[in-house]
Amino acid sequence: MFPAPRAHSYRNHEQNRLTLRCGMEKNMAGISDEIVISLRNVSKQYTREAPAVNHANLEVREGEFVFITGETGSGKSTLIKLIMHELQATEGEINVLGYDLNRIRHGKIPKFRRNLGIVFQDFRLLRDRNVYENVAFAQRIIQVPGDRMKRNVLEILDMVGMADKYKRKVTQLSGGEQQRVALARALVNKPFILLADEPTGNLDAETAWEIMQLIERVNRDFGTTVIVVTHDKAIVDRMQKRVIEMKQGEIVRDDALTQEQDYSYDYDDSYDYQDVDADGYDYED
Amino acid sequence: MRMDMTMKIRTFFYTFGQGIRNLFRNLGYTLASVATITACLFLFGMFFSVLINFRHIMLQAEENVSVTVFFNEGVTEEDIQLLKIGIEEREEVASVTFTTADEAWEDFAQRFPEGFTEGFLENPLEGSDNLEIFLSDVSKQPELVSFLKNVDIVREVNYSEITANALSGANRLLTYASMIIIAILLIVSVFLINNTVATGIANHRDEIEIMKYVGATDFFVRAPYVFEGLLIGIIGSMVPLVLTYYIYNMAVEVISSRYSMLTGILQFLPVNDVFYYLVPISVILGVGIGFGGSMFTVKRHLKV
Repeated sequence: MFPAPRAHSYRNHEQNRLTLRCGMEKNMAGISDEIVISLRNVSKQYTREAPAVNHANLEVREGEFVFITGETGSGKSTLIKLIMHELQATEGEINVLGYDLNRIRHGKIPKFRRNLGIVFQDFRLLRDRNVYENVAFAQRIIQVPGDRMKRNVLEILDMVGMADKYKRKVTQLSGGEQQRVALARALVNKPFILLADEPTGNLDAETAWEIMQLIERVNRDFGTTVIVVTHDKAIVDRMQKRVIEMKQGEIVRDDALTQEQDYSYDYDDSYDYQDVDADGYDYED
Repeated sequence: MRMDMTMKIRTFFYTFGQGIRNLFRNLGYTLASVATITACLFLFGMFFSVLINFRHIMLQAEENVSVTVFFNEGVTEEDIQLLKIGIEEREEVASVTFTTADEAWEDFAQRFPEGFTEGFLENPLEGSDNLEIFLSDVSKQPELVSFLKNVDIVREVNYSEITANALSGANRLLTYASMIIIAILLIVSVFLINNTVATGIANHRDEIEIMKYVGATDFFVRAPYVFEGLLIGIIGSMVPLVLTYYIYNMAVEVISSRYSMLTGILQFLPVNDVFYYLVPISVILGVGIGFGGSMFTVKRHLKV
């Protein structure tokens, strides 16, 4: 039986977010005991046929790196869409960062989404804009002032190794480079959780590994909780992270249920999280 | 509070700027949308101008249709004036003119060469004091005639039933035909323009989705497209109005100069009278469809 989610302190309290970020006790792997994602008996049925997700139970703690794997049609993408609230569960309870996604009001969804960074297999970049504009786009939405936005964007582009190409049109970039830009866009608002749906699906093995290393660095250095959906077994085996395997909509393997987590106190709090709320960026910090 | 207002103002200018930028970013789509709105509203404007002129000509013809009333012998001018007041109060009556027998004879005499009436010692039109009644609604002529025939001082009522019937029939036909044509044009315009706006926004589906994933509010997503739609609507309604203005003036001038014999029959409305109705209709249509179309189409894509 899963314990009740304890992440309610996040909701609507940006100050709490900062406190949680800076004061949370974490183990060597940077994982706290705060549950940021909780699914209880969650099902999603598109048609009358078999459900895409069937009675899924899952808990993810802050700072964890989790792979969701499975064959095509196993329900892994549906699961991540349920977490980002692109889809609504037919049954069960989903709680992400204290938001009860079954009861969240439409007007609150943007505020909730600002806590997430999302990366897609097909990058989903704005093809008529350059690298800088694609990343700055995410900052404009939360209304970061111009000078600060420029600094943030260039910093994050530097982190993903794209700072020298910030003026390039995204159509002039390789697949790997486009995914780096997409990753920068997902990270520029400094989200709590990074959700990546097949981020290496369109990349060759070497580039895929580079992207995964980058994602791991985000998890390690910034303490961002990472959920990666992939069917790339080689990457999963090589990364040695928690694996949730799905088959025909059911979770058939979850490492968290079989492995002892190591909780020791080691947390890098140097990362400056932005205080973002539904009304925009608070630039009076 | 001040910061909140600053943010709102900044959001407004940002979204407005994005709306303008979208116009140039998707220049092909912008031109296609403006062209569609222009074509629809131009066609509408042309039909409207023709129909409103037809209606004007019909009304002019109707205004010339009159009913003349002659009176029994011995009826005093006072009685006639009293009846005149009664008639003027009727809804279907536009104006009533009282002509005495002497006035009628003078008028008659003026139409003939000088000296023509000199041989007459007495007024040959004695007893032909009359009221000439002009109608505002020809279709109600039978009611007026029946009323007049029942007035005891009235000797004779002169009227043309055929003219009145033909005019009121043609007027009715024209009204229905205009309503149908305008309705069809409106439906086609709304459909075409809305489709163009929808197609343009569908091309931005990815952008809208990304905005929603990053946490943009519905307002923030929608505002640039609504501004864009609004601007397209304004441009799309202004262009056909300018075109219609020049073409209308040109057409009136050409018809008046080449077919001068028609000018007595065809009295065209001045362009300002046509535009008194056409400007608000076109602007409301263009802006309304541009605004409403983008508003509803974006809404469809907001469910991410």
